[in-house]
Amino acid sequence: MALHKSRTLFEIDVTSFADIAVLLIIFFILTTTFMVPAGNKLEIPSGSTDPAQADQKQLTINLTGTAIRYGFEGRRMSVEELRTALLKENFKAKPPSKRIVIVNSTPDVPYETYFEVVMAISSADGVLALLEEEGKTAK
Amino acid sequence: MADLAFLLVIFFMVTSNFVKEAHVELEEASSPDVEPMKESQLSVTMDKNGDLWLQGKPCPAAVLEEGIRALILERGDKVVMLKIDKDIRQEKYGPVFMALSKAGAEIALVGRKEKE
Repeated sequence: MALHKSRTLFEIDVTSFADIAVLLIIFFILTTTFMVPAGNKLEIPSGSTDPAQADQKQLTINLTGTAIRYGFEGRRMSVEELRTALLKENFKAKPPSKRIVIVNSTPDVPYETYFEVVMAISSADGVLALLEEEGKTAK
Repeated sequence: MADLAFLLVIFFMVTSNFVKEAHVELEEASSPDVEPMKESQLSVTMDKNGDLWLQGKPCPAAVLEEGIRALILERGDKVVMLKIDKDIRQEKYGPVFMALSKAGAEIALVGRKEKE
């Protein structure tokens, strides 16, 4: 009588692991959104200009707190109105020296307001002038 | 099947970029005029407490200009991505703009797209 000794093989079926791994990968492929930074590069005039001349000829926007005052008249306007006014300036058709916009801010202006104003200037193809408080030097 | 899974994992490992400022707490400013832009190697962030972070590391305001100047020389890229918390006042972020401008950086403001 032949005795058949059967060997018991201990195996773990990993087919399901591979299936789960592939499903997880497909899930992350479909749901992943690549983080793309959003913003705008500022165009700032190169070289220094005479501050007195800059004040007279360039468009000036004054920010006090969250209030926006436009031009020499200091007309108060909202960000939407500012956007419309800047588009009307038609900076694209002007030479670089006429596209400069000076933004004066008081120390209490929140960055949200400043950001909206600067983005509006940038999208209208204006050139932002940064002024130092001490020497009022245009940069 | 397993080979395919490994290939995909390797692909994502190679293409993933770590977010440098993941630990910096701030709320981005928003504007409808914001557009997607090319990511730069240099980044400066000001968090909700007014603290400055250069390349994801704390940076005192006094050495920001020198730090940016050195990075521009090292990387050859002048574009600096500037991200500031929306509630920070001009007295804190104004000097950052001046420091970047003096260091010869081209400032790219980063924010959120606000729906019109």
